[in-house]
Amino acid sequence: MQEALNMSWAYAGAGIGLGLVVVGAGLGIGKLAAGVAEGVARQPSAAGQISGATNLPLFLLEGVAILAEVFCLLIVLLK
Amino acid sequence: MQEHAATQASEAAHKGFNAGEVIIGHVSNGTEHPLIHLPPVFGIDMSVTKHVFMVWLVSITICVVITAIVSRYVASKRLLPVGAENGLEIIVEFIRDGIARPNVGGKWLMTWTPLLLTFFFFILGANAVGLLPIFDVLGLIDHYFIRAPEHSFLKNLIHGSSTATGNYNVTAGLAVISFFAIAIAGMKAHGFVKHWGNLKPGDHWAHWALVPLEITSMLVRPFALTMRLAANMTGGHIAILAILSFVFIFAEAHSPMLGIGIGIPSTILSAAISGLEIIVVMVQAYVFTLLTAVFIGMAIHAHH
Repeated sequence: MQEALNMSWAYAGAGIGLGLVVVGAGLGIGKLAAGVAEGVARQPSAAGQISGATNLPLFLLEGVAILAEVFCLLIVLLK
Repeated sequence: MQEHAATQASEAAHKGFNAGEVIIGHVSNGTEHPLIHLPPVFGIDMSVTKHVFMVWLVSITICVVITAIVSRYVASKRLLPVGAENGLEIIVEFIRDGIARPNVGGKWLMTWTPLLLTFFFFILGANAVGLLPIFDVLGLIDHYFIRAPEHSFLKNLIHGSSTATGNYNVTAGLAVISFFAIAIAGMKAHGFVKHWGNLKPGDHWAHWALVPLEITSMLVRPFALTMRLAANMTGGHIAILAILSFVFIFAEAHSPMLGIGIGIPSTILSAAISGLEIIVVMVQAYVFTLLTAVFIGMAIHAHH
């Protein structure tokens, strides 16, 4: 009974954590996209350079989100 | 023969549809039933599993195709490329001018571009093979025509995931190559010992505090590369399989007609996610190559 209760806390924690990760990633990538859109709107000729510069932080952020997802999955799968 | 089929059908009906098991079965390597069982070497099981087989398949295919195209161009002594050489040129120029040159710089460009090209083509190939339903078609042919026995080579070949880069061991191998490439790039550019001296970014005494941070980042970067690629590939497949399992879950819970009804939006949605997965495949190959190039560039131009 206690074991099942502890397990349910673990599942709840993993679920909440996953939701928080999605919120964080969404906010970060959204801010990046907003910055790109504004920069391209101010100077359309620099569109290539701006999107090239945002590629790297975009994928680093996405990588952080995916890593967090993997760790949440590990919480669930590894007891 | 009829009795056996009847008992099997009733067994399957009573067992129900375990979505978790089916999904995990479709994205896993199948280490319990390897394709070719080899004896363990120093305690490591050297059997050929499906992902090992897919790595070999993709490597050999890409090697043969690209070598054929390039050797045809070199042998023809023409300046303008023809046909497939055009396509290859687009990708090679994209990586050399878009990824390698801005990060690695002119001096070491030709040293590191082959490695980046290899990474890109291999990861793109291995990712894309996971989207082609080769083994599903093979499974259909096996189910209706060949009917191979349970643990035969064909059955083991069909079971499991065909995306080799969805396995974190495969991507860890790629990340280890990346790690050594970064170290070697720094050592070639700055000298054998001075590259490690660059871990301390400046001359002030306080810069010693940054050394543990630099060492940690040196180890965390390949780990992040590993997990990013493996999780992206596996996650896409799990999403597609989960949406397709809705059909069976609903058919189990209520009635087969509801399963068929759910099937229409379910297949459309999973087709849309497969389209998204095509984008993810190309983006993940690009990102792995880009990050490796950025880290190599950071090791080469390490003056702050």
